[in-house]
Amino acid sequence: MRPDSPLVGQIIAAHGGGAAAAGELVSVEVDRIYLQDGNSPTVARLFAEYGVDRVADPDRVAFVFDHSVIVPDRDMADRVREATAFAKRIGARIYPRGAGISHVIALEEGWYQPGSIVLGSDSHTCTGGAVQSLALGMGASDIAAAMVTGQTWLKVPETVWLRVHGQGHPALRPKDVVLEVLRVFGQRPFLYKSVEWTGDWAASLSLDSAASVASMGVELGAKCVFLPDAPGRGDGLVPIRPPAGAAVLELSIEGLRPRIAMPHSPRNSVDIDLAAGERIDYVFLGSCTNGRLEDIAEAARIVRDRSVHPDVHFLVTPGSSRVYAEALRLGYLETLTRAGALVTPAGCGACVGTQGTVPAAGERVLSTMNRNFRGRMGNPDADIYLSSPLVAASAALIGRIPSADELVCHVDR
Amino acid sequence: MWTGELKVRRVEGEISTDDIIPARYKHRFTDPALMAPHVFENRLPGLAATFRPGDALVSRDIFGIGSSREQAVSALLAAGVRLVVAPEFGRIFYRNCWNLGLPAVEAAVEAAVETEKSALPAEGARVALDLTRGRLTGPGVSVPFRPPAPMMIEMVRAGGLLPLVFARTRPPAAAQAHQDVEPSQTTPVGPQGR
Repeated sequence: MRPDSPLVGQIIAAHGGGAAAAGELVSVEVDRIYLQDGNSPTVARLFAEYGVDRVADPDRVAFVFDHSVIVPDRDMADRVREATAFAKRIGARIYPRGAGISHVIALEEGWYQPGSIVLGSDSHTCTGGAVQSLALGMGASDIAAAMVTGQTWLKVPETVWLRVHGQGHPALRPKDVVLEVLRVFGQRPFLYKSVEWTGDWAASLSLDSAASVASMGVELGAKCVFLPDAPGRGDGLVPIRPPAGAAVLELSIEGLRPRIAMPHSPRNSVDIDLAAGERIDYVFLGSCTNGRLEDIAEAARIVRDRSVHPDVHFLVTPGSSRVYAEALRLGYLETLTRAGALVTPAGCGACVGTQGTVPAAGERVLSTMNRNFRGRMGNPDADIYLSSPLVAASAALIGRIPSADELVCHVDR
Repeated sequence: MWTGELKVRRVEGEISTDDIIPARYKHRFTDPALMAPHVFENRLPGLAATFRPGDALVSRDIFGIGSSREQAVSALLAAGVRLVVAPEFGRIFYRNCWNLGLPAVEAAVEAAVETEKSALPAEGARVALDLTRGRLTGPGVSVPFRPPAPMMIEMVRAGGLLPLVFARTRPPAAAQAHQDVEPSQTTPVGPQGR
């Protein structure tokens, strides 16, 4: 790949889509497909309905069971069983309950090769942009068609570049920056587009942080995102340089403080001090956005030798079994458990209301996940706020949203 | 593809696929008919029971943001919805609509009131859709939109993406059950991918 021309166009061309211009419809070869358990039972049903029982290449297809790990419902249990049987029948690889979130596993297993095309049956598949994979979330029919044909159809998107500059508050984290991008620009400049993050800030992020930023591409409304080459992101990536005359959106984070997304939209974020003092009943640390080792390390650092507020339910869900084992080895899970957190097996956790903990009516949840739509965690009468893991872990200690000043002492720990 | 009369059902505000169908139902059921009674239950309780075949959802805000769940579309179809009109859509929802044979029309409903001297399509209004010409019309209503690519219209007429793709890979008898128009065997078809 070349650094000075839209990556999405280069990747499409390399997969049989030709030198197509933005807006054209193309057919492309797909390198890898993965499914999650909310959609794999439906894909199984579609295969049965259409009398199809073969896939183009089972070695390129993986089934991940991440949304229903500790299955709370007999219907759900039946669907998990059906999807497992289907995966075995077609010879696909199975990542069972507890293995982790599909997008976290995808990065760990190297499914997102730079320059590859990856389809996932989940909207946060855009996480692959952290390592410059054209990774696209799709619905069950698209996934079924690609499993059978090895191909998919795309409309070549326009590219928009996004440059973040300036020096933020010491407690500012990548999650806060994405929330600020959403507040400032909304979805409109990004809708259906390929978003390329450029500039020193994007190149300064760790791999875990890059994955966090990329995962929220769908919250921006983007089709796909790309982060630039940087230390720790692996081989084969290129720097991102907007071509001369390109449309570049600029965002200054000079002095920017942590942000809190208020109920019920990630677009709805405010400066932390405007939300400080709000009572918090339940903190969820996890998800494909903030369930990686870096996130759990930060939470452990905050709660070390302290106690979770007695009125707070603090749920921690590592993003994968690999993250879980590493957090165990490094003592993070012991620290969190001793402080009073409840650590669950790896997976999507409480993010989407398919498994516990479902919040009660009137409860206020502070979560590190990516979207806080009404009812997201299984109860439309709960209020969900979003933040970084740093803010979430701090709130778990004091039972309310902290102020920026309260966070600074945590940062220095 | 639905060729009967369409009845406008107005939906206000930004709508996510979580609003359309909460996640737990897609984990519990694969039959869209079992999900249909639950559409919009968190956001607009009671609405699902009022849907009838031929309903056309009309929104002035972005529609279908968030999750990739195709069940948001299959559940709306099972509830009777036959058209969705909004100024813009969540990318995956849009693609899923066409894939399942539900036209999703990007139309600036409000702008049409100025430029076309037409009224905002009111709740319950009867309208007609002309996909090829790109127009939604009814008494006092005239909303233009950019017509979708011909292959998208072909896909919707065939009943969706899979009837076209799988028609090439399985016996004709099985194909018949899922289409009411014989697809072209040679033209590459697909959604106006987003």
